[in-house]
Amino acid sequence: MNETREKTLVDILDKKMNRQLLYYLDICTRCSICKDACHQYVSTRDVLYLPAYRAELIRRVYKKYFTGMGQFIPALGEAREIDDKLLDELYQTTYACTGCRRCMFYCPFSIDTTWILSVAKAMLIAAGRGSQILAELSGASISKGENIDLFKDIIIDTLKSTEKELQEKVGDAKANIPIGKEGADTLYVALAGTHTILPAAIIFHQARVNWTLSLFEASNYGYFLGNVPQAKTIAQRIVDEARRLKVKEVVITECGHAYRVMSHFYETWAGEKHLFKVRSILEVIAEYIREGKIKLARGHVSKPLTYHEPCQVGRNAGFYEEPRYIVRQVASDFRELTPNRERNWCCGGGGGLVAEFEFDDLRIKTGERKVQQIRETGAEIVVSPCENCRLQLDTLNEKYNMEIEIISMMDLVVDAMVIDKAAN
Amino acid sequence: MSDEIKVDLELDVRKLLCPMPMVRVSQNIGKVPVGGVIRAVATDPGSLADIPSWARTTGNEVIKTERNDGEFVFYVKRVK
Amino acid sequence: MNWFSFLAAGVLVYIAVAVFLFGTGYRVFQWFRVPRSGIRLGIFPQPRNKGARVLWMARDSFFFPQVLDVDRWMWLFVILLHLGGIAAFVGHLRIIQEFTPLVNALGDEGMAQFALWSGGTIGIILLVTVLYLLFRRFKSPYKDLSTPEDYFLLVLILVIILLGNHLRFFGDIHVADYREYLQSLLAFRPAFPEAIAESGTRWVLASHVLTANILLIYFPFSKLVHFIGAFAGNLLRSEKQ
Repeated sequence: MNETREKTLVDILDKKMNRQLLYYLDICTRCSICKDACHQYVSTRDVLYLPAYRAELIRRVYKKYFTGMGQFIPALGEAREIDDKLLDELYQTTYACTGCRRCMFYCPFSIDTTWILSVAKAMLIAAGRGSQILAELSGASISKGENIDLFKDIIIDTLKSTEKELQEKVGDAKANIPIGKEGADTLYVALAGTHTILPAAIIFHQARVNWTLSLFEASNYGYFLGNVPQAKTIAQRIVDEARRLKVKEVVITECGHAYRVMSHFYETWAGEKHLFKVRSILEVIAEYIREGKIKLARGHVSKPLTYHEPCQVGRNAGFYEEPRYIVRQVASDFRELTPNRERNWCCGGGGGLVAEFEFDDLRIKTGERKVQQIRETGAEIVVSPCENCRLQLDTLNEKYNMEIEIISMMDLVVDAMVIDKAAN
Repeated sequence: MSDEIKVDLELDVRKLLCPMPMVRVSQNIGKVPVGGVIRAVATDPGSLADIPSWARTTGNEVIKTERNDGEFVFYVKRVK
Repeated sequence: MNWFSFLAAGVLVYIAVAVFLFGTGYRVFQWFRVPRSGIRLGIFPQPRNKGARVLWMARDSFFFPQVLDVDRWMWLFVILLHLGGIAAFVGHLRIIQEFTPLVNALGDEGMAQFALWSGGTIGIILLVTVLYLLFRRFKSPYKDLSTPEDYFLLVLILVIILLGNHLRFFGDIHVADYREYLQSLLAFRPAFPEAIAESGTRWVLASHVLTANILLIYFPFSKLVHFIGAFAGNLLRSEKQ
């Protein structure tokens, strides 16, 4: 590796340094408690996937270039120079990580491995070795945002048939899917495609909400890629739209990371406060049910049903009660996975892994915990409010012959909704 | 018209949700020679924005788009 | 005092204490010198208020109950190691100041017995726990993750414990003699009192102090800074969104 490239990468670690990161780099004792926390390590028994080892790669670089020990007795801490071998290992450990942060829960010092790996991603990107497919996805999102006028009419056009479905479902010929409606209270951010638009439209219509649909998809592959400027640009499309339309709240669809990007990261990235509330569709639905704005047929689903807790929804965003409240309204035989809540296992598909085909084998192999967990419940239906989780569960369903049905929370709700067509 | 385009690879990405159709095209673009064409059939309308945006950023080209009966057909040419 | 003892158990004590104190201060300064990221890293569930947050932090730092889920033995040995370390530290305080109320309650002979048994038990516990942690690192995956620093620290601590146990079980030096030695250090005129100077275990004592000094000197620059950093990490755990 040439010296300028080495220096560039060291500079990135220097620039990315912050107090939280420094704590994490300094205090790890390599006790390896985290090994049993990581679904990838547990399934592969490969030290590359041991959370502390993933972090240790960056720690060894930090020791080499930023500590006295690295200067004088590098061997003591196995301080490492940045070379191609290190970058190879970093790529494998970093982009394989699903970002579930289960290791942080179990770490006696609460070290956030993903926070350390975010530096690894920045270094890999600078070395021209970021995940190619995530970069393409991120680039496509940005390009779509820049050229939205080209796509606006196409999007509106494709929604016509969705609008018809909405009208049939609610029995109201005037029911519509508003786009770019100024003065709406709620800006709903869906995913690309229509499968997360129709159920939301039905829910908003029945709850009589003054809403409008975002032109942009919630998912943020810049975040998975670890490219903060790009991730910010992608999220900013929505923030700008929300400001232009003067909405009171932005509601993010069932998408684990999208909610976190908007509510936990964006303000720091942009250095400005949101002028609107950010809510997850989960808390919105739970509120509508509580306030009687939508009515669900209790016990509508009698088949055994379980809830797969997306890590970005549970452990990393704190929505533990809302999804369970909703599920209990609808399912008469709700069965919890064990363990659950903050201890829940990652499904194996987070962090953009479902799009990174190079990790397909790993992703399928490391889903075995989730498969086992679901099988133990005897559930026939798995509901999960995260697109990445559902894509992974679909894969697992097929590869492990699970014969289960995987549905989204909104589909569960809409299916059980009591719609008085005469009243509409 | 479509008969005139020489297709090097047929890609069935129906029923896949976005952005997976785009991911599949990206995954397979290396399998056709430079100048070659992938014909991808998708059902997720999100791909109407996704695939052209992807082509724009990766320097490839969507030379033709067809819509019929809830299916979207993309002719993606590998430029480099 | 011979020249070895004078250096190892005399001069070096001052250096070690100074390096430990200033080094630790410097490490904390290093942390605070770096600006913190505005991104909140907390995981859920989160405590209701600031008071609860401090309680959770203390619980996680002192008891790390979640570790019980995954490795009960590790939890037990680590708790014992830390408690043993604290107890050993407290025991050594008797050299600074006699635990008079305890002596009054137990009597001179009772106190000697108590010191023998408590100190001995702690010494054995420390020995066993450090051996456990050391041998644990000899097998995969712990081995693959471990760095020489990890072994160095454990071996160093093991040596300190072995020497300490030797003094406890086979030594003929009494607390009053240690106290006299400490007074000489405090007076900046390090010297072994006659009882120590003539004792066969004076080499053991000098080596015990020497290795402890090395540990103190290395402490702030090693992963052992987790004795402060753990609180910071566990406070970040519940950082409010």
